[in-house]
Amino acid sequence: MLSGWLRVAVLADLTDADAAPLAVKLGELPIALYRLDGKVYAIDDVCTHEFALLSQGFVEGGAIECPLHQARFDIATGRCLSGPATVDLRTYEVKIDGGEVFVRMPKPK
Amino acid sequence: MFLRNYWYVAASAAEIGRKPFARMILGEPVVFFRIEDGAPVAFEDRCAHRHLPLSMGKLVGDRLQCHYHGLQFDRTGQCVRIPGQELIPPSAKVKTYPVTERHRWVWIWMGDPALADPARITDFHWLDDPAWGAKASYLHVKANWQLVVDNLLDLTHLAFVHESTIGNAALAEHATVKVTRAPNNVVVTRWIIDQPAPPTFVKVGGFTSNVDRWQIIDFVPPAFLRLDVGATPTGTGAPEGKRVDGITMRNLNAITPETEKTSHYFWGQAHDFEPHNAELTEKIFRQIETAFHEDVEVFSAQQRNLDLCPDPPQVDINADTGVIQARRILQRLHDEERAALHVTAAE
Repeated sequence: MLSGWLRVAVLADLTDADAAPLAVKLGELPIALYRLDGKVYAIDDVCTHEFALLSQGFVEGGAIECPLHQARFDIATGRCLSGPATVDLRTYEVKIDGGEVFVRMPKPK
Repeated sequence: MFLRNYWYVAASAAEIGRKPFARMILGEPVVFFRIEDGAPVAFEDRCAHRHLPLSMGKLVGDRLQCHYHGLQFDRTGQCVRIPGQELIPPSAKVKTYPVTERHRWVWIWMGDPALADPARITDFHWLDDPAWGAKASYLHVKANWQLVVDNLLDLTHLAFVHESTIGNAALAEHATVKVTRAPNNVVVTRWIIDQPAPPTFVKVGGFTSNVDRWQIIDFVPPAFLRLDVGATPTGTGAPEGKRVDGITMRNLNAITPETEKTSHYFWGQAHDFEPHNAELTEKIFRQIETAFHEDVEVFSAQQRNLDLCPDPPQVDINADTGVIQARRILQRLHDEERAALHVTAAE
């Protein structure tokens, strides 16, 4: 069982410019990394509605819009902003060290 | 659902001549012909008198003469002769449509004639640009036009429908896909890196090892899809913009609704390598034509099921991103056109 901080990407792969999310795996878990105003966020990559990969969606105004049914989630908090999804996304702790991005594996419940 | 204030491809330039040519566009019967100076003209294909299609008539100089009672209409659609009658009622006229010729196609404007600016014609210069070899053709589709748009925005189907020509498994399984959108545009960019070339690419590009393949699909409403496609030997820098030792082609598509359930599919294939090699142009065209006939079979089978159940539940998958964005744009434009009509009607 993986735990603690996992290296998931290098910072250079994340650009502010086109706000393109980066899909990575946290262990087995599909998550997406976003860089907004210089800060990196890690949230679940699977839409809580119907399994679309949110990293293939559209970033607008600090939110990610699902590519299929237009549910929107706040990138910083994971909060569901508009339907058809109703459930928030989980967020993960991020730290940058030596140009690398580390995400903290949540403790099993 | 039709969008009216757009230029649509009505015919190939060669189809329109001195013999009246009938084609239904957006549910309206239209007759096309050329006047003596070669300019194309389009009328409503219905005599103002007793509704016979004017396409059954014949040209007398620059006038189209109805086959039934010999009424003659000039290029503005005005009746200028009624055999055996001197006075011509002002209401004896037929609707005309703005038409213009570009890129070896004849284009028609189906909306408000006051808005018919030829500058709004979608660019298809590859079809008549000397730097490219190209051949265009036409397919009649027994399906709603949006099914054709959907097809071209999700190219994962190549792996299944076109495995003998332009498809292989790598297309569906190993593509990196990025969809970008603007208010009236969707671009789907697909890269398939270090994978085998599909049969058609091997035939025309002579690839002997893995390739980096791109498919960049540019959609503009209502139904124009211009695809930048090609491949280079893997690792030679195509994703970074350096296309060497490979092939670049344009797959060009203009779909015009005939009715809600049938469509005119104008398409062409252009290539920038050996542009003056007519044999090569033909060879490439034949490969794509084979694939497109396979698509046409798919469209009519889809439409048959839609006819049985017009609005069935459907599942969306990740590959549908481009399709869904395009459909949203089309719906919005349709709503805007309807709203504008209501405003005009209220004034």
